[in-house]
Amino acid sequence: MEDTIKKIKKTDEIADYLIIGNSAAGLSAVSAIRTIDKTGSILVLTNEQYKNYSKPLITYLLAGKIGLDNIYFKDDKFYEENNILLKSEINVKKINFKDKMVISDKGISFKYNKLLLANGGSPIIPKIRIVEADDFIENFKNKNINIKVKEEIITQEMLDSTNYKNISGIFTFTCLQDALQIQKYIIENKIKEAVILGGGLIGLKSAEALLEIGIKVNIIELSDRLLSATFDKYASSIIENEMKNNQSNIYTNNTINKILVKNNKLVGIELKNKEKINTKLLIIAVGVVPDLRILKESEMENEQIKYGRGIFTDEYMQTNIKDVYAAGDVVESFDFITGNKANIAIWPLAVRQGEIAGINMAGGNKIYSGGYFMNSIEILDIPSISIGLTNPADNNDGSIEIIKDFKPERKFYKKIVILEGKIIGLILVGNIDRAGIYGGLIKNEIDVKSMFQA
Amino acid sequence: MKKIFIKEEYCIACRLCEIYCQVEHSKSKKILKAFKNEKDILSRVLVEEVGYNSFAIQCRHCEDAPCVEACISGAMQKNKNTGIVTCDENKCVGCWMCIMACPYGVVKRDLSEKKIASKCDLCSDEEYPVCVRNCPNEALQFKDI
Repeated sequence: MEDTIKKIKKTDEIADYLIIGNSAAGLSAVSAIRTIDKTGSILVLTNEQYKNYSKPLITYLLAGKIGLDNIYFKDDKFYEENNILLKSEINVKKINFKDKMVISDKGISFKYNKLLLANGGSPIIPKIRIVEADDFIENFKNKNINIKVKEEIITQEMLDSTNYKNISGIFTFTCLQDALQIQKYIIENKIKEAVILGGGLIGLKSAEALLEIGIKVNIIELSDRLLSATFDKYASSIIENEMKNNQSNIYTNNTINKILVKNNKLVGIELKNKEKINTKLLIIAVGVVPDLRILKESEMENEQIKYGRGIFTDEYMQTNIKDVYAAGDVVESFDFITGNKANIAIWPLAVRQGEIAGINMAGGNKIYSGGYFMNSIEILDIPSISIGLTNPADNNDGSIEIIKDFKPERKFYKKIVILEGKIIGLILVGNIDRAGIYGGLIKNEIDVKSMFQA
Repeated sequence: MKKIFIKEEYCIACRLCEIYCQVEHSKSKKILKAFKNEKDILSRVLVEEVGYNSFAIQCRHCEDAPCVEACISGAMQKNKNTGIVTCDENKCVGCWMCIMACPYGVVKRDLSEKKIASKCDLCSDEEYPVCVRNCPNEALQFKDI
């Protein structure tokens, strides 16, 4: 421990507020801190090379709907006006909670009085076997020939989070750099068709962008339908049909068994059912998990911070360690509907949690009353919004009432989930007008029994 | 700040507020030209009507505005000085997070050109919002809070 500290370049300055993360939660915290404390020093660390930008907007960037000049959600003046010191490309390696010090992978240390962990999530890379496929392309062209991958040159190499970038053509889609690299790759390789692993939110967002620029997509989804976390089979069927009508293939109950490469370049994939798809572009969109790498590094020599899937916080967004707060996609906090702890990685909650953390860090008093899942996604001009618990797993006692209106020919679906007279979930597809009213009814726990009586 | 107050007991559901709002937010700002030449001008005020009960509702310009919190592009902003919540049409990408977040259901999808969110701007160029000025029964009032 002492050895480590000796190696660290010491900085005498102590930031009153140190924020790890320069996105929704982090910058919302900055604004909140400044409503109370106008003069305390704020240091924001980010591992990104870019100034703030909105992660959800990378879809719109890849689709060509916005340019780089419009991907920023706070303008340049924000940092100046709020008197923030922003340090980019700082990879925080670990935190010494005892000495209140954050240490980067290059050994630079930053001291703090109050710390906010708002470092978000990182994409999941499933382990998939990588196979050298010399004959793959040639054989594929002639579909009558039984495709043979030379078994003897199968490597034992597995795709994982450390090596996927080594193969040209494999990308994740969660940050600006991903979007820019995909964009460049598409142009350079004249991509006309792509494979997306994962039919969840990120998968569909990538599909949305690729379809917009005329690239045919093949979506590989492990479950039996798209957006399975929030949609039911009716809602999914509308989106699936529309995608199929737009030259897309959807492979449900399936996954990628092998990644076929030639000279470190992606040439195709083999599915669980042995079907092969010839592709030069694979986007891995299986999901995102809270990025806990810093904490795991810190554990050995430190006070333990408590976490499950994400970092646990109290209602002030403070962790179990005093003066250390957490907000946004990295936390696991209170789910208002289920009453359990949950990692709900959505923009509005990141902003709210960041604000609450900021106020409390600056000595104010504001409580987080919990949040619930909600999202808005538009695919091929079909808008959809889902809120809360849309797919209650068990309804054995019949306490849950479900109201459905399914009109596939009009690409319309509406589902309201009601528990003991109160709305707990909503799906709207095709027409999303006034969706927020349902959200208000959920949040305020309004009894709607009388509204739905025929 | 000044806000629009809704007096539902005076609302006669004449929908003049909607008409004047559409005209005000048209390009020509002339009722006949707007009607003839401009398609799909959205009213940012909405008359709710069930039986004999009715009221007109538009953006409440909330203190802790959920639409601002939900906005992924930074288009939806609450002006610190005036308190008015506005959507910057250049920044808006039409993701509809604001529609999902607004508990009053007063943000609409404007699909007439580029997809953008449409909502009440309190007619900030005018002394009074046009819906208030043209309400024949003072069911909408513009007062300091």
